[in-house]
Amino acid sequence: MDHKLEKILARVQKPGRYVGGEYNAVVKDKAGVDCRFALCFPDTYEIGMSNLGMRILYGVMNETDGVWCERVFAPWGDMEDAMRREGLPLYALESGDPVKDFDFVGFSVGYELAYTNILNLLDLAGLPLRAADRPDLAPIVVAGGTAMYDPEPIAPFVDIVSLGEGEDVTLEMIRLYRRAKQEGWSKAEYLRQAARIPGLYIPSLYDVTYHDDGTVAAVTPRDGAPAVVTKRIVTDMNRSYYPVKTIVPSTEVTQDRVMLELFRGCIRGCRFCQAGYVYRPVRGRDYELLVKQGIEACRDSGYQDMTLMSLSSSDYPDLLPLCDGLLDYCQPRKISLALPSLRADNFSMRLMEKLQAGGRKSGLTFAPEAGSQRLRDAINKNVTEEDLLNSCRTAFEGGWSSVKLYFMLGLPTETDEDVLGIADLANKVYYTWKTYSTNRSRGIRITVSTSCFVPKSHTPFQWEAQNTMEEYLRKVTLLREHMRNKSITYNWHDPETSFLEAALSRGDRRLADVIETAWRNGAKFDSWSEYFSLRTWLDAFAACGLDPAFYASRERGKDEVLPWSMISDGVKTSYLWKEKETAYQGKITPDCKVKCTGCGASKLCEGGICHV
Amino acid sequence: MSDQRILFRKAGTAKYISHLDLMHTMERAFLRAGISIRHTQGYHPHPYVSIPLPLPLGFSSDCEILEFGLVDGATVETLPEQMNRALPAGIEILDCYDGGLAFKKLAFVRYDITLEFETAQAEEGAEDFKALMGRESFVVQKKSKKAKAGFTEVDIIPLVEAVEAVRAEGTVLSLTLLLKAQNPGLNPDVLLQGFKSEFPDLHVIYTACHRREILDENKAPYR
Ligand code: SF4
Repeated sequence: MDHKLEKILARVQKPGRYVGGEYNAVVKDKAGVDCRFALCFPDTYEIGMSNLGMRILYGVMNETDGVWCERVFAPWGDMEDAMRREGLPLYALESGDPVKDFDFVGFSVGYELAYTNILNLLDLAGLPLRAADRPDLAPIVVAGGTAMYDPEPIAPFVDIVSLGEGEDVTLEMIRLYRRAKQEGWSKAEYLRQAARIPGLYIPSLYDVTYHDDGTVAAVTPRDGAPAVVTKRIVTDMNRSYYPVKTIVPSTEVTQDRVMLELFRGCIRGCRFCQAGYVYRPVRGRDYELLVKQGIEACRDSGYQDMTLMSLSSSDYPDLLPLCDGLLDYCQPRKISLALPSLRADNFSMRLMEKLQAGGRKSGLTFAPEAGSQRLRDAINKNVTEEDLLNSCRTAFEGGWSSVKLYFMLGLPTETDEDVLGIADLANKVYYTWKTYSTNRSRGIRITVSTSCFVPKSHTPFQWEAQNTMEEYLRKVTLLREHMRNKSITYNWHDPETSFLEAALSRGDRRLADVIETAWRNGAKFDSWSEYFSLRTWLDAFAACGLDPAFYASRERGKDEVLPWSMISDGVKTSYLWKEKETAYQGKITPDCKVKCTGCGASKLCEGGICHV
Repeated sequence: MSDQRILFRKAGTAKYISHLDLMHTMERAFLRAGISIRHTQGYHPHPYVSIPLPLPLGFSSDCEILEFGLVDGATVETLPEQMNRALPAGIEILDCYDGGLAFKKLAFVRYDITLEFETAQAEEGAEDFKALMGRESFVVQKKSKKAKAGFTEVDIIPLVEAVEAVRAEGTVLSLTLLLKAQNPGLNPDVLLQGFKSEFPDLHVIYTACHRREILDENKAPYR
């Protein structure tokens, strides 16, 4: 290990996250490698190592001859200070080599509040922030992940945006790069060629013009770049890569367990949910394969916990045989099986009972999202009060004594009556417990949490205004006044980060200056309360002559050119608009299993049909 | 049947695995290697792994010991190779054997300690260190969670069994010390802190501690 690094590590918190060397970390012989990829996660090691997408890409790339993918995470403040003081540039964990010497610097961007960390990492690496200031072919800075469905706020910093699932397109991008390197292409030539690979958006090949009122006038491609770039998906999950052999951190991380991915996408179409749209269509893995992969992953890692992951596990068609197959292996070995993202219905509850047989009964979590049936219909959250209370009844009869309920405030069409519906629902949960609990002496803990709704791109609510912070807090106060039951605890998220998130997640390219200014004034780790400062951001907006409310709290018209209009996830904009109108009529849209409502995502599949 | 022990090295990147994380790492490595080990009795059975003398974070060692009970999946002969394939970088099993001396018989630890100075102060540091060790007593404050004041006072001198080597070379001072292991033992970090605050003119920029050997009361290797 580098002696300078050893000296630094003697003085920082949790040094284990800065050294690599974990079981299954891939170390390759540099002599046999001609493409080096620094896969960066713009948050801490603990969070980044809990990200399944990172693990998949890491595995896919390292299975490829001649390619070596290494990991990079954001150092915590004490480590960053020490690195800057000692002049130690950002390095990759596997080799310890400086990130600036890599062929690719790739960022996995799941949330907008990580933008300043991207800048910070580029800077720590000693790289110029702006793509235009990096004339050489290497390194190519690429970004992917859910936040990249509106990549514009960080467009000037990156060379390539990879849309959708990265398993295939990353390798195509690398293949083209190797050719570029061999044939001595310029960076501009490489990017022009890369623009022809479906799923790769090259920001520098698009000109954006604005109207006087600040809205986008046009997004114009140049040099043969496509007018619309559509995301990539893996069509056959049974043949897609799953990291059975994956890194086992030697120090504790957030998700320290086997993560088994049941399916991608979601049939439900909740109108507020970006994931529900951008991951369309739903694609599952066969349960026999999942059982095999789950067992192998446990064996290889030595993990004693497994989580079944998906956007809505209750919708997995073979959930019972899957759980049975896994339990056969797990139960005798005392491996615990967790199944989050269950719906509030009786089938799911019985399944929970089964999984937790003999184990400790931890808390139950439900996300009704809205307090009234009317509003739940408007957002297409297909759960009824009856379902929810029945599930609670089953749980209380089974001895559970703690329930968490998650809601959003500020959903489109919301009235104060809907807000008070939250208190009402919490009370009904309480009376359900009083009536059916088998163990009243233990008491009941009901926790109600609200957050401020953030309208996201590529959803039916992408045109909506976010509630202002004042409006959100008014609703919080209203709700507080109506939650007097001592068994009910009410927690509300502060609206400041939601406001910033809303401003950044539907932003245009002009926000790059704001992000850079905020970063220069100290913003980083914005999703961490230790660091977040709204003041820094408001000052940065002001310094750049922009108004965050223009992005967060303004309703967009049907004909406005949205900054992300050249990015497609396969779902038609006309479909989203129709869904928005249906929301205002308070009507639900059937899920993909009941009926295909023609969102457009089917054209991403082989043969043009969704297999739900 | 008696329990088993492994003797292992912990160095390189593994220096930064804390004691608690090391226990988890070992439990998982046993599972990965297909070796089943004895679980504790009681209401919440868990795998039994025990380390007589936890190694402070950042120290390296050639002589760590872990006790466990081998149930199935390996013999003491095959275990080192099986485990070494399942462990993270920097942890290496050197030996596996049945039985072993009682934990309380672990009496001394031989440490190799390196101090790096900003300038060529090693000679001066060596003289100061020897002088310090020649004192009747040298009381330092040691952080303590139990004590009300947040620290306790320890006299270091009786806890240093022997100063076996002192080598100065330019900016680097190397010490080999034999320290009491337990009841009470001396963590070399406590000694180094005391040394540094006693001689504020010495500018120590880095220290490294390495456990070379652990010894029983007769100063024979403890196993
Ligand atoms: S095309 Fe139809 S089935 Fe496929 S995701 Fe869209 S609505 Fe669902």
